[in-house]
Amino acid sequence: MSAAILPNRRDEAWRYSDLRAALIDTPAPLSGEGHIIERLAAGAGARTCVQIAAGENRDAFIALHGAHGLNASAELVRVEAGGRYRRVVIQTGAGVIANLACVELGEGATFEQFTLAMGAKFARLETQVDAHGARARVDVSGVYLCGRGDHADLTSTITHAALDGVTRQLIKGAARAGGRGVFQGKILVAQGAQKTEAAQNHHALLLEEGAEIYAKPELEIYADDVACAHGNTAGALDDGAVFYLRSRGVPENQARALLTEAFLLDALPDWITQETRELIEGHITAWLEDVE
Amino acid sequence: MLSIENLTVRVDGKTILNGLSLDVPSGEVHAIMGPNGAGKSTLSYALTGRDGYEVTTGSARLNGMDILSIPPEERAALGLFLSFQYPLEIPGLPTMTFLRTALNAQRKTRGEDEISSGDFLKLARAKASVLKIDADMLKRPLNVGFSGGEKKRMEVLQMLILAPRFAILDETDSGLDIDALKVVADGVNALRSGDRAMLVITHYQRLLDYIKPDRVHVLAQGRIAESGGAELAVRLEAEGYQRFGGPA
Repeated sequence: MSAAILPNRRDEAWRYSDLRAALIDTPAPLSGEGHIIERLAAGAGARTCVQIAAGENRDAFIALHGAHGLNASAELVRVEAGGRYRRVVIQTGAGVIANLACVELGEGATFEQFTLAMGAKFARLETQVDAHGARARVDVSGVYLCGRGDHADLTSTITHAALDGVTRQLIKGAARAGGRGVFQGKILVAQGAQKTEAAQNHHALLLEEGAEIYAKPELEIYADDVACAHGNTAGALDDGAVFYLRSRGVPENQARALLTEAFLLDALPDWITQETRELIEGHITAWLEDVE
Repeated sequence: MLSIENLTVRVDGKTILNGLSLDVPSGEVHAIMGPNGAGKSTLSYALTGRDGYEVTTGSARLNGMDILSIPPEERAALGLFLSFQYPLEIPGLPTMTFLRTALNAQRKTRGEDEISSGDFLKLARAKASVLKIDADMLKRPLNVGFSGGEKKRMEVLQMLILAPRFAILDETDSGLDIDALKVVADGVNALRSGDRAMLVITHYQRLLDYIKPDRVHVLAQGRIAESGGAELAVRLEAEGYQRFGGPA
């Protein structure tokens, strides 16, 4: 593989996630045009196409468990008019993990996604939504966690190209010392996509000195009759809240874990099933208890 | 029960409490009144151990135990409770989970067995009904979207569930209408007993019509400026705090 066709950190979309450095010992065959993750996935035989027929609802549960080395996968999705695709992605394991979902939404189609990234040597879970049908609905949320030496990147581009689109995005993250979290979220409202409603929120906790969070929230709007807002914060746990719990008898470590868990679980959408919720809670609780 | 001697507390390098001494014996309810900025909330935070409230001299003992040298959670397990003036909202943390975690943490620190979820549910429901708190509210995230009055009721619910030995009520009356005030006062009064004591911090005499204090103290300029019986509160209501000096 020629390193020259891998993105480097001068590419805006890869500024905080150095794929070239992560893949230094892991050559993979690359060919053709298109998104780098799609090409890596095609080389690994992990490129799939999903077609949701008009009016059809489909749920997918995707477990990305990274082994040593490169783990690339890509999903190309087309949701026809009135269809709904619900996707839950849980990333665990080690190595270099790169996942891409490219989703096209027809008229009145819905895409709902929850992503849990537990971090790895390099983990990037990217979502690209092209809502070209009118009244398309996008609900994407996620949680990323980065312990020492972990990199977790949730990147997304959501394009509304038609009337009356709705996007709700809520991403929450937490990083410990030596962990690096990345959120890049772009919502693009094209000319003519009037009455688009978009709300993008990303909030992250730096749990310890030496934790890193890189956030790049973006709204790019070319229509003049829209309601779009975004919020982005990164900071420490609220001392007042920690004291409130301690004053009720909860030891400091437990109070911090409880508050962090509550902060993260707030990102879970209503549509998630009880079974999946418990699975996600289990991962988050285990991560919080695993203090070095 | 609670014995404070010559307590001096600094916040951000500024002395707020200046040689405060106070004794609240078992079975009694004492009220602390005083002008804004007198140090009433500082006293409650210093006693419960909030960061940033630096005790430079003096002592505070609960049933003979020095509380100033132990962390807040251990003070709570010894039976110290503060009803916050401004209870915090915790998104994502269901009220029931919070309450059960707190009760079990205290029991664990005291070397007692954890309460079962069934027994806890019964306890929480019974106490909530005393305070006319809807059971559905207990499923919601702690204090999120609650009105000022609902938050104060939630503080008192926590107090009834945790059953502390010594409770500090920091302006529990603010934000309550008359009906809610009666409900909350009934809840507080239900907890009065020979082996408990309370410190009620308030600006106004109104709350003391419902929670009758054994003693009333005026806190001004960082120390107890005057003490008396319940009649002192009535006099303060008529005269104001001006003669005690300091910020009014």
